[in-house]
Amino acid sequence: MSATDPILRLESVSKHFGGLRVVEDLNLAVRRGVRTALIGPNGAGKTTVFNLITGVFPVDAGRILLDGVDITAAPSHLRIGHGIARSFQNIRLMPHLSTLENVMVGQHCRNRGVRGVLQPVNLVPRNRWREAARAALVDAGLIEYERSTVGNLPYGVQKRIELVRALMAQPRLLLLDEPAAGLNPAETEALQAQLEKICSGGLTVLVVEHDMHFVGALCEDVIVLDFGRKIAEGSPEDIRRNPLVQEIYLGAPVAQPMERHSARSA
Amino acid sequence: MSGYLEGVLVLLAVNVVFAYGGFLPLAAGQLNLGLAGFAAIGAYASAYLSNVFKLPPLVAIVFAGIVAGVVALIVAVPVLRTRGIYLALATFALGQIVQAIILNLEVVGGAAGYPVAAFIRLPAIAATATVVVALVWLLFATRFGIAVTAVHDDETVADLMGIDVRAFQVAAFALGSAIAGVGGGLYAHHFSFIEAQYFNISLSITIVLYVLLGGTQTVIGPLLGAAVFTLLPEVLRASANWRYVAFAAALIVLMALRPEGLVTGAQLRRLLGLARAQPRHAAVAAALPKEPSG
Amino acid sequence: MLGSIYAMVAVALTLSIGVLRFRNFSIPGLFMIGGMTAWASLRGGLPWWLAIAIALVAGAFASLVVERFTWRWMRGAQEFVPLVSSMAFLLLFEHLAVIYWGSELRTLPPLFANADWRIAGLVISVPQLAGLVASIALIWALTLALARTRLGRGLRTIAEDSDTALLLGVEINHIVPVVFLISGLFAALAGVIFALNYRQVQPFMGEMVGLKGISAMIVGGMGSVWGSIAGGLIIGVVEVMSIGYFGADFVDIAVYGLLLLILCVRPTGLFAAAFAGQRA
Repeated sequence: MSATDPILRLESVSKHFGGLRVVEDLNLAVRRGVRTALIGPNGAGKTTVFNLITGVFPVDAGRILLDGVDITAAPSHLRIGHGIARSFQNIRLMPHLSTLENVMVGQHCRNRGVRGVLQPVNLVPRNRWREAARAALVDAGLIEYERSTVGNLPYGVQKRIELVRALMAQPRLLLLDEPAAGLNPAETEALQAQLEKICSGGLTVLVVEHDMHFVGALCEDVIVLDFGRKIAEGSPEDIRRNPLVQEIYLGAPVAQPMERHSARSA
Repeated sequence: MSGYLEGVLVLLAVNVVFAYGGFLPLAAGQLNLGLAGFAAIGAYASAYLSNVFKLPPLVAIVFAGIVAGVVALIVAVPVLRTRGIYLALATFALGQIVQAIILNLEVVGGAAGYPVAAFIRLPAIAATATVVVALVWLLFATRFGIAVTAVHDDETVADLMGIDVRAFQVAAFALGSAIAGVGGGLYAHHFSFIEAQYFNISLSITIVLYVLLGGTQTVIGPLLGAAVFTLLPEVLRASANWRYVAFAAALIVLMALRPEGLVTGAQLRRLLGLARAQPRHAAVAAALPKEPSG
Repeated sequence: MLGSIYAMVAVALTLSIGVLRFRNFSIPGLFMIGGMTAWASLRGGLPWWLAIAIALVAGAFASLVVERFTWRWMRGAQEFVPLVSSMAFLLLFEHLAVIYWGSELRTLPPLFANADWRIAGLVISVPQLAGLVASIALIWALTLALARTRLGRGLRTIAEDSDTALLLGVEINHIVPVVFLISGLFAALAGVIFALNYRQVQPFMGEMVGLKGISAMIVGGMGSVWGSIAGGLIIGVVEVMSIGYFGADFVDIAVYGLLLLILCVRPTGLFAAAFAGQRA
C-alpha cells in the first residue's frame, strides 16, 4: 500500500431504500492527503454515501476500502477505530454533556477496553485525556466554553466543537457534512483556515458542500454526484467548466466558464 | 438516637440505594420498571443465605446483589433488544414474573412471606448505602459516565464515535439491578420480614419517580430525590398514604414545569465550576427558568 | 370471560397509544376507580344501574383530570414525560383509594344470585354473559364509530400523522379530551364488569387485573383495536389453560411470560400485520 494509493475507495457500491435507488453502482476514490469535495444537487445521495462509509447503513452491493482494508462488513462502532471520523449536517452534540465532555467523547475510540473506560477522567484533576481535550479546545479557540451546556451556544461555535470532537479520534480520514452551512463569511474563512492547517499534517478531508465558493477555495479535488452516480470529477476549475455539471445545476450548459457562485438554487 | 429517627434514617438509606438502582439504567436511557423484581431477588436471596447458610448479613447482601446482577445480565440479552416503551414494558413483565415466581417458592415462604432471622442496624445500613453512592459516583467520574450519557443522548452518534452502545446499556442495566438487589437485602435484614407482595409494580414506579424527581442528569440527583421522598413527609408529618398522594401530585406538577428534575447537569456545573466566568450569552441562556438542556 | 375484560382495558390503552401516542399508565387506575366506585355505590344502597352509571362518570371524570394535567400541560415535552405523569396518576389514584376506602379487599353483594340460565345442561351465568356481551358490543360500536363518524375519522387521521391532521383542520384540542373520555369509560366499565362478576375489589386491583390489559394490548398488537380484542381473548385463554395445567399459582407467570416473549420476539404483536389497515 503505497503513499499514492487512494485512502478511500468505493467499488460498485449500491444502496436502495425500498424501491428507491439512492446510490447506484458508485465508484469513487479519495486521494491521500487531498482535500476532496463531494457535491451534487439535493437528493444526489451525498449524505447517504457518508452514512455508508461510516456504517450507519450497510451497503446492498459493492465494497468500501479504507487504506486498502475492506471495511464493508465492519460494524459501525468499530469504523472510527479504523480511522474515519465525521461531523453531521444537523449538529449532533450530546445535550447533557458539557463542551469538554463532548470533545472527550471523540477520544472514546482510543479507550475502548475496560481499563480505558474506567479511567478517572473527571476525577483526577490533571488526567491526561482531559488535558488533551482541553488543549484541543485551546487550539481551536474554544476553551472559554469548556463547561458550557452545548445547546445554548451559538450555531457556529457548536459546529466548531463538533469538528474538534471528530479530530480527537485522530482519524486518517475526516468526513465533513456541510461544514460551512449556516456560517457567516467570517466564520467560513476561519473554518477554511482551520481545515487547511489540519490537512497540512497529512489528514485527508472529504467534504459534502453546497457552498461552491468554499469548495473552490478549499478543495483540490471535486467529485460530482447525481442520482446516486458519479457524473464528473476533477479540479474545481474542471468541474466548473464541465457542461454536464452545469446542466444539472443550471438546467443547461453555458458557453463560457462561470464566475464562482453558489449553486444553492439547484 | 430514638427508635423513630433510626427508622427514618434506615428508610432513607434503603431508598437511596434503590434510587441508584433506578438511576443506572435511566442514565443510559432505559426505564427499568422491573426494579422491584430485582430488589426482591436481592431480598430473598440474602435472606435465604443468612437464614439457611448462616452467612453474616452484609456478606449475604453483597452476594445477593451479585445474584440479582447476574440474573439481570442473563435477561438483558433478549430484553435489551427492545427499545423505548417496549423495553419499559418488558422490564415490567420481568418484575411481575419475578414476583409471581417468588409467590410460588414455598422454600422461602411463598405467599405467606419469609421471616429473616439476622438483623442489622443503622450503622451497617448507612455504611452500605454510602459505599454504594461512592461507587456510583466514582464510576460516573470515569469515562463510563461520559459514555453512558452519550448513549442516553444520541445512540446513533455514540455508536459512530466508537462507543459500544449495547455493552454500556447491558452494563447499566445489570449494575442497576445489582444495586437494587443490595437495597432489597438491606430492607430484608432490617424489617425482618419480607413478602413478595411488597415488591410490586407500585414499588418500581415509586422508585423511578423519585429518581426522576431528583433528576437523572447528575449523580447527586437520585440522592436528593430519595431524600425528598423520604424526609419531606416526615417533616410534614404526613400519613403513609398521603405521602404517596402528595408525592405523586408533586411529580405531576414537576413533569409539567421542570421535567429534568430538581438538579440538572448545567446547574451543577455552574455551582461547582463557577471559578471560570462564562460567556455572557451562555450565562443568560442558562439563567432562563425552563432550561430544556439542549 | 376475563378475556373480554382484558380486551376492554386493552382497547382503552390502544386508543390512547394509537391516537395520541400517549402511554397512559393511569388506565389501570381508572379500572380500579370504576370497580370501587361501583362497590361503594352499592354499599350505599343505590340500585345497580345507578351504581354502574356513577362508576362510569367517576372513571370518565378521573380520565379527564389526567388529560388536563398531563396531555394539556406538556404538548412538546420530552418523550417520557407523559408516561411518567400517568404513572404518578396511577399512584395517586391508588393511594387516594386507600385513604378513602381502606386497603382491604371488599366484596360486593351477589346481585344476580339466581340469574343463571340452564340451557341444554350448561350453566351460563347471566352477569358473565351480560358483561361479555356488553364488552363486545361496545368494542364493536367503537370500531364502527371510528370507521363511520367524523370524529372517528378525525381520530384515525391524528393517529396517522398529527401534523397532517392539523393541516386538514381536525380540531385536536376538541378531540383529545374525547379520546381520554372514551378510554376512561372503557377502563371504568371493565372495572365495573369485573366487580359485578367476580365481586371483589380493592385499591390495587388495577395492578392485578388492569395491568394484564397491557399484556393483551401488546400481544394482540399495539395500536389496533381488533388486535386488542384478540389479545384479550388470548390472554384469557392462556390464563384458563395455565390454571388447568399448572394450577392457579402459575397464572401470572404464564401471562407475563407470554408478554415478555412477545416483546422480545415480535413487539408489534401477533396480529399487527393482519390488522394494519384497521389501526384505531
